[in-house]
Amino acid sequence: MSALMGLSPLLLLVAAGLAIMLVDAFTSERSELALVTAASLFVGAALAGAMLAGGDIAPAPDVVTRYLAVDELGLFFDIVICVGAGLSALLAGGYLREHGFERGEFYVLIIFTAFGAMVLARAVDLLSIFLGLETMSLGAYALVAYRRTSARAVEGAVKYFLLGSFAAAILLFGSALLYGATGHTDLAGIREVVAAGEADATLTILALVMLIAGLAFKVGAVPFHMWVPDAYEGAATPVTTFMSVGVKAAAVAVLLRVLVGAFGDPVSMGLYTGWTPVIMLMAIVTMVYGNLAALAQTSVKRMLAYSSIAHAGYILVGLAAVHEAGSFAVSSVLYYIAAYTVSNVLAFGSLILMGSKGKEAVSYDDLAGAGRRHPMAAFPFVIGVLSLLGMPPTAGFFGKYYVFSAAVSAGGPMIWVAVIGVLASAVGAYYYLKVIVYLFMREPEEDQPIAVPMQSIYVTVALVLAGYYVLKMGITPSRYLDWAASAASSLIG
Amino acid sequence: MGIGTYLALASVLFGIGAAGFLARRNMLIQLMSIELMLNAVNVLLLAFNRAYPGNHDGQVFAFFVIAVAAAEAAVGLAILIAYYRIKKTLDTDDATLLKY
Repeated sequence: MSALMGLSPLLLLVAAGLAIMLVDAFTSERSELALVTAASLFVGAALAGAMLAGGDIAPAPDVVTRYLAVDELGLFFDIVICVGAGLSALLAGGYLREHGFERGEFYVLIIFTAFGAMVLARAVDLLSIFLGLETMSLGAYALVAYRRTSARAVEGAVKYFLLGSFAAAILLFGSALLYGATGHTDLAGIREVVAAGEADATLTILALVMLIAGLAFKVGAVPFHMWVPDAYEGAATPVTTFMSVGVKAAAVAVLLRVLVGAFGDPVSMGLYTGWTPVIMLMAIVTMVYGNLAALAQTSVKRMLAYSSIAHAGYILVGLAAVHEAGSFAVSSVLYYIAAYTVSNVLAFGSLILMGSKGKEAVSYDDLAGAGRRHPMAAFPFVIGVLSLLGMPPTAGFFGKYYVFSAAVSAGGPMIWVAVIGVLASAVGAYYYLKVIVYLFMREPEEDQPIAVPMQSIYVTVALVLAGYYVLKMGITPSRYLDWAASAASSLIG
Repeated sequence: MGIGTYLALASVLFGIGAAGFLARRNMLIQLMSIELMLNAVNVLLLAFNRAYPGNHDGQVFAFFVIAVAAAEAAVGLAILIAYYRIKKTLDTDDATLLKY
């Protein structure tokens, strides 16, 4: 039993998902499913947190660790994904009931998608990467299509599904080529062969390009971002929240495991010989494009979708710095993803809070004057967008600070990437502050319906929790940095 | 036959699938193109396994690909049916509700 202790968050989620499915089948009252779902996810996060803080992880048998890593990095992402999914489930508890389409399968899908994301974040074999990716993606497709009578939701789901499956097929072809080039499907074995220079160079490069393309799609990096705004806008807002935190975090985790884990030798990672320039270029294009496209939006939800593309760019800056800054760069990526998770939940949660039955808040105009009429409801929104912008004393500030200082300490061309990143996030100030301007300094148009915030204990609790951690990570970041550092050192010594 | 023949076959199959996905405008045919791409991967995995006879990693991988492709088709067809019910068409050129 204790041999599988390191995987307990995953096992817990499987049991909880199956139990909720059964409970849902035998009861007609599903009012507390949101609470049960969120509670199981938070318990999963707490289990992982206890193991990470305690520092002793029970070693798992080889048959497990060949496919799923039992290490600090896996536990770190367990926490991030479980917290993101748990908060999204709480938001869904308020949102779905308010807008009248609560069904039990929603919570089951959230749990199993989070499980897939956690498997993906721990995957150390091409086979488990593929299985984790598909478990997560199939759940995410279904979640986007959950509101099946809405033309927007289903159109977003169709686009997400077709492009997602195409990207998965490319990733899979890359995996098969890598197996052919090295004779291994496990990342450790691949690393050995690649580092020794025994792998077929042409096949390996082709495989790496296809793997990066497939994973960049899931992260939502330009030029593989086309699905992001459509899927994010079409999906119900709690689903958008979960996709922008849980799904993205898992994709970052597997990108780290493949690029730094399997292709982490000096040649494959080198500035002139390896994958670093590709990621660097992708980071620049993603930051610039995400921020500029977000400027043009009239819908806050779509603006947040483009902002999540921009944030993927900042994360890639940290990844591109790994070749020189090593473990510091990895831990800056990890801290960023944790800070981004709570900030994004806060921003999307506030958008949910601003709408009520029959009048969902989506565009800037919907928010006009809402802050003056309901200052308490607008307060979390202000903190959320300031954190996404990177203002002290919020989590987002330290996230950006560590990523850019990792880039600067890597030196060389990375300094210029950091400069572009800082300029791009200055552009972001315009559209983030526009939310605050509309909340407090505009009046609604004459004939427009006036936004009334919804009343829901679930949404309130989610916002309080997210807001607490946004401020806590912004004021006393040291504990979370230690966790990120110990997770980073389990990947790169 | 050498492994190069199989590699060429898999690449051609994959290319036909990718071209079909990108060129065709019917979502159902795009889904079929993706299935073709997945089967190209299976050919590749089985062929490479012959080069590494020490274990059966490639063949086992191919079984998982087949199973997951079935699950993917199930979810995908469900989404396409939901879409067809609303739009009465599966043409990608008509999916213009969400843009920019």
